[in-house]
Amino acid sequence: MSKLTLQYEGIVLKDYALGSGVTIGRLPDNAMIIDNPAVSGHHARVLLEGQQVILEDLRSTNGTFVNGRPITRHVLQHGDEVLVGKHSIVFDQNAVEPQPVAGAPLESLGDTVYLDTKQHRALRATLESARADAAKSVNARPATPVATAPRRVGVLRVIAGRSEQDQYDLGAHTSLIGRSDTALVRLRGWFKPSVAVAIARSGNSYVATPLGGKTLINDERLEGRRILQDGDMLNVSGLILEFCWKDDVQAESAA
Amino acid sequence: MSRAEEGLFVVCDGMGGAPAGEVASELAIQAIARRLTGDESGEGSTSSPFLPHTTRLLDAVRQSNEFIYGQAQKDPRQAGMGTTVVSAWIREQIAGVAHVGDSRAYLWHNERLEPLTRDHSLMEAHIEAGLADEGKKLPVEQQNLLVRVLGREPAVEVDVTEVPVQSGDYVLLCSDGLTRMVSEEELAKAIQTFQEPQQICDHLIATANHNGGADNITVVVVEVTGRWWHQLIKGVGSHLRRTLSRPH
Repeated sequence: MSKLTLQYEGIVLKDYALGSGVTIGRLPDNAMIIDNPAVSGHHARVLLEGQQVILEDLRSTNGTFVNGRPITRHVLQHGDEVLVGKHSIVFDQNAVEPQPVAGAPLESLGDTVYLDTKQHRALRATLESARADAAKSVNARPATPVATAPRRVGVLRVIAGRSEQDQYDLGAHTSLIGRSDTALVRLRGWFKPSVAVAIARSGNSYVATPLGGKTLINDERLEGRRILQDGDMLNVSGLILEFCWKDDVQAESAA
Repeated sequence: MSRAEEGLFVVCDGMGGAPAGEVASELAIQAIARRLTGDESGEGSTSSPFLPHTTRLLDAVRQSNEFIYGQAQKDPRQAGMGTTVVSAWIREQIAGVAHVGDSRAYLWHNERLEPLTRDHSLMEAHIEAGLADEGKKLPVEQQNLLVRVLGREPAVEVDVTEVPVQSGDYVLLCSDGLTRMVSEEELAKAIQTFQEPQQICDHLIATANHNGGADNITVVVVEVTGRWWHQLIKGVGSHLRRTLSRPH
C-alpha cells in the first residue's frame, strides 16, 4: 500500500495512507491539512487512475513542485518529493502497513507529540544553520545572544558588622542573606530574619529582593526588586556590605 | 499534586493519546513526591548553583524520568509513555522551579505576570533560533510538537530557575490545556480580580471551557503571604479536569 509522508524542514510530521486519494490544502476539509499561508485553501490532490497515482495542482497560488519542477499534473513515482509551500510530501509506493508504535517516525500522540532524539538532532541542526544564516545577514533579527565574555561574578565585601568571612562570592543562582542555614551570608542573633535578602543572578546582573527585616541600600529602604550597581552599600539588619565586581576586587588587591 | 504545608506543587500532563500517558503522569508525581519525602541530609550535590531545596527538586525530577523510562522499558503496554512536568518548591520565600515540556509556571508579582518557564516545544525552539516571531504561529500540525518530555529517553535535561516570592505574589502552575485556551492577559486579569486562589482556578477553568477547551486542564494557584512568622502559603487552589478522549 502506498503512503504520503508530510515533512517540514526534514522532520516527519505525519504519514497518510493513500487510500482512494488525498486532498491537500490549508482548509479543514482537506485530508492533508497544511495550515500555512503559503498553501492554498485547496492546493492539490492525489488520486488513483488504474494503477497510476496522479498528483494534480488545483490552480494553487504558489504552485506544486515535484523534485523541484512545477507541475499541473504528474504521475507520481516511488520516492518523488512534492513541494507545497515550505512543506514537502514524499511518495512511498511500497509502504508497509503503518505500524502502531515503533514504525511511524513521528507518532501521533493525540494532542501533543514528541520529537525523539534523532528528530531532535535533525531539528537542532536545522535551527543552528538558520541561526548561522541569520547571523550572516545584516538586517536579521538578532539570534539568541551568545555568551562571548565569561559572566562577571559579583561579590559582597563586608564593611562593618559580624560575619564569618570578609567577602562572599555571588556564584550561585540565588544567594541568601539571613539567619537560615542555607544563607550564604549568615546573620547572627535570634531576632534576625531567617531570610533578609535574596540576591539572584539574572544574565549579567544581580537583582536584590528584600524578604524580611529591614534592609537599606545606600541609606534608602530597599523595597521591591533592585538591580545592584557596583559600589552599592547594603545595610542588612546592621551588617554593612558593599556590592562590587570580582575582577575589580582582584585588580585592586594586585595593585 | 499539592503538599501545601511543605510548599511543594507539581503538575504533570501525560502525553495525549500516547499509550499509558496517564500512567506516566501518575508515575512522575509519585516518583517526585517519594523522592522529596523524609531525610534531607546528604542529598544534593554541593556544587549546584541552586539552593538545597531547588537542587533536591531537580534531582527528583531527573530521577522520575529514569523511573518512568525504566517502567516503559519493562512493560510493552507502557512503551513510549511520556509526560510533561512543572514543579515548584517554595521554601524560605524562594521558589525553586523545575520543568520539562510545555506545562508552565508563572509568577504574579507587582501587578505583573512573569513567565518562569519556556516551553520545550518546536515553537519555542524556532523563536529562540530567530526563525519565528512570537506573534507568528507555526502551522497547526507543528504547534503541539515537544522537543523534551519525561520518560521517553534515559536522561533528560531539566530547566531550573529560582525566584524570590513576596507577600501578595501568586505562583501559578498549569498544563497546556489552560494556556492554549486562556491568554496571559486573561490569566493576569483573573488573579487581579479574584485574588482568592480557588476562585482564580474556577474562573480560569470556566474561561477555558468558554473558549472551547477540549484538552485536560490542570491548574494550581498559590498565594504567598510574606510575614515570616506566619504561614508562608496562605491558600492553594487547584483544579483538575479530565475529559474523555474525543472521537476523531
